[in-house]
Amino acid sequence: MLAALVGEIVSNYSNVLMMFGFAITATAPALLLSKMISPKKRNNPVKFLPMECGQVPKGEGRTHFMMQYYAYVLMFVVFDVMAIFLYSWGSTILNLERTATLPIIIFLGIMFAAMAFALYQSKRRNIW
Amino acid sequence: MSIIAPKFRLGYFIKSLLDNVFWIIILLTLVGIPTIQVALFFIDLPVIDGDLLTPFLALTWLADPSRTLPIVKTLMQTDFFKIAVFPGFGFAALLAAGTIFVERKLLAKLQLRVGPFYCGKIEGLLQLMGDGLKLISKEIIIPAKADKPIFWIAPLLFVGTAAAFISLIPVSPGWVIADLDVGLLAFFVIIGFFPIITVLSSWSANSKFPFIGGIRALHQMVSFEIPLILSLLGIVILTGSLNLSEIVESQYNYPWIIFMPIGAIVFFIAMLAELERIPFDLPEAESEIVAGWLTEFSGMMYGLVQLGSYLKLYAFAALFVVLFLGGWNGPMVIPPFPQEIITDGIELGPISVTVPGLPLFTPEMLNGTFWFTIKTVGVIFFILMPRGVFPRIRIDLLLHIGWYKLIGLAFVNIFISLSLLYAGVLGPGGMI
Repeated sequence: MLAALVGEIVSNYSNVLMMFGFAITATAPALLLSKMISPKKRNNPVKFLPMECGQVPKGEGRTHFMMQYYAYVLMFVVFDVMAIFLYSWGSTILNLERTATLPIIIFLGIMFAAMAFALYQSKRRNIW
Repeated sequence: MSIIAPKFRLGYFIKSLLDNVFWIIILLTLVGIPTIQVALFFIDLPVIDGDLLTPFLALTWLADPSRTLPIVKTLMQTDFFKIAVFPGFGFAALLAAGTIFVERKLLAKLQLRVGPFYCGKIEGLLQLMGDGLKLISKEIIIPAKADKPIFWIAPLLFVGTAAAFISLIPVSPGWVIADLDVGLLAFFVIIGFFPIITVLSSWSANSKFPFIGGIRALHQMVSFEIPLILSLLGIVILTGSLNLSEIVESQYNYPWIIFMPIGAIVFFIAMLAELERIPFDLPEAESEIVAGWLTEFSGMMYGLVQLGSYLKLYAFAALFVVLFLGGWNGPMVIPPFPQEIITDGIELGPISVTVPGLPLFTPEMLNGTFWFTIKTVGVIFFILMPRGVFPRIRIDLLLHIGWYKLIGLAFVNIFISLSLLYAGVLGPGGMI
């Protein structure tokens, strides 16, 4: 019984995976065909340098970089989870008591206060 | 300089095709048919309905519509047909190809240019095919220091993920590839993969411009995913379901855009950002950082990424239609299938043929597909329009819009839908 139920659910999801696999198997031959009919001239090492608008590339491709907006990435980690939590409330709200909305409003208030504080902090570039 | 181009003549091309046809016919008659005849000596043919099933009889049955139509109908119900042809890859790729052509002509007209003109005689209809041939015959150049396996697989993953997105879209009643109970959550899962693929490909290219583009794509998708998710919560509150088909059925009387225009606007803007279209095309800002995260892609790899991004465009437009514009719902415009064809058969002069299983598609399905396609094309048109009008936005302004304005508007939308529910306007036992 349970196995059959699980199987039914999994068979629904397997269609998504099959679509993924079909798209890859349908488009990979284009790459193979391109490999077969395109010209191959390996006489020029400059051709395989990274593209830098005609200049000879300088330094590494992957360098240290300024995470100027790192604060937003940190906030994303918190508020993305919050947004998905709200879905579990929203999809069952028709079966809930009306009073059950109040704790959610309080939860939203707490999250909003935290978000305002985080946005205020994200403007202070010198602490990052 | 490619291999195809220098000595290419249409006459030579047709001649080579005809040569191939000639040799195929010669080989079939001299080798193929004798082989089949020899093989038939040794095979016991089955007897069906008192007739020996000879190849002649089998071919006769194949040409008989009363026997083929049920087979075709059965084939159309299989998962493979759905995935490969109708609500899946073929349909989406057709609409995506149309989108590319219309976009180029539309932009040209907006900017007082002509656009694709020469290829295909009539208004450059075959330009897309020509571009495809060009891309497929170009050499694929990969930077020497790149991380080759990931770099090779990134375009394929991009197309595959876009196709997995398409599998969630209900086109017509019952015509959906994966009818999930949590379809909306599956949509969030799938769009969460796009920034990962972007960052992976840009990191593996080991070049500066793709790297900058990838970091920009990461920031952009990070700041617009939360408004995108929150703007759809109002619909879930009023429908009480995460299944996309049920969401479409709940809009039988009114599309949700009437009650939640703010949510629709927020979703549309976030959609433009997720699609990396102007004014949010920072990851591939071609006037600043060459082509952003696509800089090192060449030849068919670039073509695959473009195919994936247009499939994604179709999927987002279709999702907007499903969530806000009522999906397949619309007035009945397809005339009902004439009953006398089912009962009396088709009369062609002296003969009349009764064909079982003739209404190949139900009128509901045709009508649903018609309305869905019309609405989707309209939404795609609105996605294309800003490209001819708006400049690119600065990245700090982009983050500001995402985090301050759109999230606020999304919460306003949630409270509108809550008040609609508690005031007794919508929902179970509501006025409407």
